[in-house]
Amino acid sequence: MESVTAVGERNVVENPTTNYLNNGYSIWSWLLTKDHKRIAVMYLIVVSVFFMIGGLYAGAIRLELLTPQSDLLESGIYNKVFTQHGVIMAFFFLIPAIPAILGNFLIPLMIGAKDLALPRINLLSWYIYMIGGSLVLFALIQGGIDTGWTFYTPYSSTFSNTYVLIAGLGIFVNGFSSILTGLNFIVTIHTMRAPGITWFRLPLFVWAHYATSLVMILGTPVIAITILLLALERVAHVGIFDPAIGGDPILFQHLFWFYSHPAVYIMILPSMGVISELISNYSRKKIFGYEFIAFSSIAIAVFGFVVWGHHLFVSGQSPYAGMVFSFLTMVVAIPSAIKMFNWTATLYKGSISYDTPMLYAMGFMGLFLIGGLTGLFLGSMGLDVHLTDTYFVVAHFHYVMVGGTVLGYLGGIHAWWPKMFGRMYSEFWGKISAMLVFIGFNLTFFPQFILGYLGMPRRYASYPPEFQVLNIFSSAGASILGVGLVLPVIYLTYSLFFGKKAPANPFLLPGLEWRTSSPPPTENFRVRPVVTWEAYDFGDENGLDRTEAPKVQD
Amino acid sequence: MTTNAAEHALEHHYHPPGLQHQFDDMKQQEESVSIGMWMFLAQEIMFFGGLFTVYLVFRSRFPMAFAAGSNHLDAFWGGLNTLVLIVSSLTMALTVYYAQRGDRMKQVILIILTMFFGTVFLGVKAIEYTDKYNHGLVPISGWNKRTTDSGAGAKEHSSLVLPIETRVEASEAAPAIEAPHSNKRGEFQWTDVSLVKEAQEGGFLTENEKISYFSGGEIDANKFRDKVQIFYWIYFAMTGLHALHMVIGLALMTWLLWKAFQGTFSAEYYSPVEMSGLYWHFVDIVWIFLFPLLYLLGRHFLHGGGH
Amino acid sequence: MSNHEEHTEVHIGLRGYFAVFMILVVGTILTYLTSQMDLDIVFPGANTLLALGIAFTKMTFVILYFMHVRWQGRLIWLTALGSFFWIGIIFAFTMQDYLTRSVGNFPK
Repeated sequence: MESVTAVGERNVVENPTTNYLNNGYSIWSWLLTKDHKRIAVMYLIVVSVFFMIGGLYAGAIRLELLTPQSDLLESGIYNKVFTQHGVIMAFFFLIPAIPAILGNFLIPLMIGAKDLALPRINLLSWYIYMIGGSLVLFALIQGGIDTGWTFYTPYSSTFSNTYVLIAGLGIFVNGFSSILTGLNFIVTIHTMRAPGITWFRLPLFVWAHYATSLVMILGTPVIAITILLLALERVAHVGIFDPAIGGDPILFQHLFWFYSHPAVYIMILPSMGVISELISNYSRKKIFGYEFIAFSSIAIAVFGFVVWGHHLFVSGQSPYAGMVFSFLTMVVAIPSAIKMFNWTATLYKGSISYDTPMLYAMGFMGLFLIGGLTGLFLGSMGLDVHLTDTYFVVAHFHYVMVGGTVLGYLGGIHAWWPKMFGRMYSEFWGKISAMLVFIGFNLTFFPQFILGYLGMPRRYASYPPEFQVLNIFSSAGASILGVGLVLPVIYLTYSLFFGKKAPANPFLLPGLEWRTSSPPPTENFRVRPVVTWEAYDFGDENGLDRTEAPKVQD
Repeated sequence: MTTNAAEHALEHHYHPPGLQHQFDDMKQQEESVSIGMWMFLAQEIMFFGGLFTVYLVFRSRFPMAFAAGSNHLDAFWGGLNTLVLIVSSLTMALTVYYAQRGDRMKQVILIILTMFFGTVFLGVKAIEYTDKYNHGLVPISGWNKRTTDSGAGAKEHSSLVLPIETRVEASEAAPAIEAPHSNKRGEFQWTDVSLVKEAQEGGFLTENEKISYFSGGEIDANKFRDKVQIFYWIYFAMTGLHALHMVIGLALMTWLLWKAFQGTFSAEYYSPVEMSGLYWHFVDIVWIFLFPLLYLLGRHFLHGGGH
Repeated sequence: MSNHEEHTEVHIGLRGYFAVFMILVVGTILTYLTSQMDLDIVFPGANTLLALGIAFTKMTFVILYFMHVRWQGRLIWLTALGSFFWIGIIFAFTMQDYLTRSVGNFPK
């Protein structure tokens, strides 16, 4: 029976000369790769590009909103800017980022496998993402779309004269990237686990991705058919969303949100998976309530499918249906709360180190708390009548999406950077960026709760002058946030060339991914691991201890 | 098992045909592709599910319009197509059966038969769609046969006329459009409101219908036509998506035929055949539901029914 | 390796496939014939219910025997059943809106 250290010794080669990065240098060895790690790196590059583009649109929005008049961008252009910000961020960043980058890279390592179950499908997912993304970028360059990322009918089906068809096609295609990734993860987690890895020895990161994959498979096809119906209606100039012939525009909203609500759980569940890992690792303590967190991931995935009507409270949906959706929205908050309690309990009496990933993780906990609680405000029908389509909603979803997903993403990228690239990044700059992100984010979005409550509507280029001060705070915050988000690009890239070489396990963490070289060899493990220990096992008998993690010289 | 044995195990044992490098053995590979294909089918179910939801919503709102529209679909051809697909399902299942037994000749024959029946299905659909085109039942303006005037043989602007006029049962009852009728712009055409009258007399119109088909208390043929147009929109969307899946299925079968012909499949390695079979049966199941839901809705009204 | 026998060998045989085929054909003919009869005298919607019932039965036979689910493990069963449950969610929760809407007063 392999002991932990024995596996580590056999699999770890410090400063490996051959690893997945230098195993072939030609462009074809990358573009035709089947290696999940290379595919993850390719996703990292393109997802980062889309994040930048989405961020530029956000910058334009905040610039315009410095003044009450729509002086920088007139309304029609402003409509395009916020639409495109939403489309790019939702479909091309938030949904794929953590699963396609960190999930792809880490899941086989965490389960002791050589690769995902279906490597060619994995590569296909990347190409599909590229095609979908190219179509959307093409639509943007041709003139863009102005329907809002939600494409509500009848504006999008009948009246908008923008490039809805091409953008819709791009999103349709991109959906299959998501579906195939989810499919791949589920198969992999079922069939590729190394001997000894039972379901309850899996890291919670893997559980989170399993739940996410369920949502990807069951939800994405519905948005696909919805976009198809919208496209058909645009081409045919008649259709089922057209009230003139007895169609129902609200049916579009039902079909759209059937996916798009679970989609937000696709965005947050992987981030929660990262947070589970980070909280445990950086308090050097076994995660508290493992089964609760694991099952609550599944519960969020399942319950997330029956709450979509809370986006339709004021649309004309029946109030009786609204009551059902409102009640279920309260219920879906419970598993998330369970996780928060368990993470907090994990921190208690832990040996906490305030490294960059931990700063992001703790930031997540605070910001997701606010975002999640404000979701409950929006989920009560009566309150939603007042708050819907105001900046309150905008603030809510940015707290969960940026405060939640982006912080989890950045925390994860930093935590596993040494593993992925074999280099240590500058902790100093990491901490500076994390703090800038946290401060900038709060300054940007907290005033928006107040603005929304006071009645400032969303998706408007102009607003009443009494809202200007809060808008200025918000835009100021956005500039700080922008700096905080750009810095990692610089210092992380710098570390690739000039960073200190990373040992296999710089922080003496118990995860299986740390028991192979940094960066790993193409086949992940030189010797097939046989796992005999529980997840998050920081105990003495495995050669790790609970004292401080070794300090990394900057 | 010692480490040494573990390290060398994979290099020295028999490497079955078709085993991919990431898998330890065929069992793991077969299990993986099976789960993978079922996950894919799960998402396909949700894909069609969206369309079935649309159907459900509009059927519950406009049952008479649906019944009327359905009566002008030819249930004979629809039923025949159902049987054709069922036969193709049988030949597909038998293909898997013989692939398991490594019988190359029978596999190839059965795949060819499956493809044949699949093509017949698509051919019948083409006939049906052309029939709709000829009768002004395509729900998109300009996509119907343009005729300038009434009566026999007005063929000036038509581009595709079949020698076979398919039988439409409902034509015994009442034609969809009064016979002398021009369609200069290829519009969707419908004037038959007999089912509305019947439902009104029988008292089984829904609340929604009592408003939607009427103007000023009278039956409004144009409003009814709009609702029937929705039925046909859904008909074309659902059967069209299904037909697209059949085309993809035929492409899959072509690849499978090539591989089977080369003798790739045997008792040890036949999961591609089985997985292709799963896809084919799924497409069959969708049609099993489409047929009664689209073609057989209001038949009982035609045969002296109605409550 | 004998493992392929345990999990994919189907015990149905040629005769079994033809039997299922006949059931499917009979079901189709039955659906067609009963659609012509007015069953709404029994209760409203009886025609549709019967047609759907036959369709579900046909589907069950295809899934169990042609798609071999009868011999598959729990995960595949869960996937097949779960998918139907999920479609049920979209149907039920969408229809609960449409069925509880009041029709409203439109000018005549």
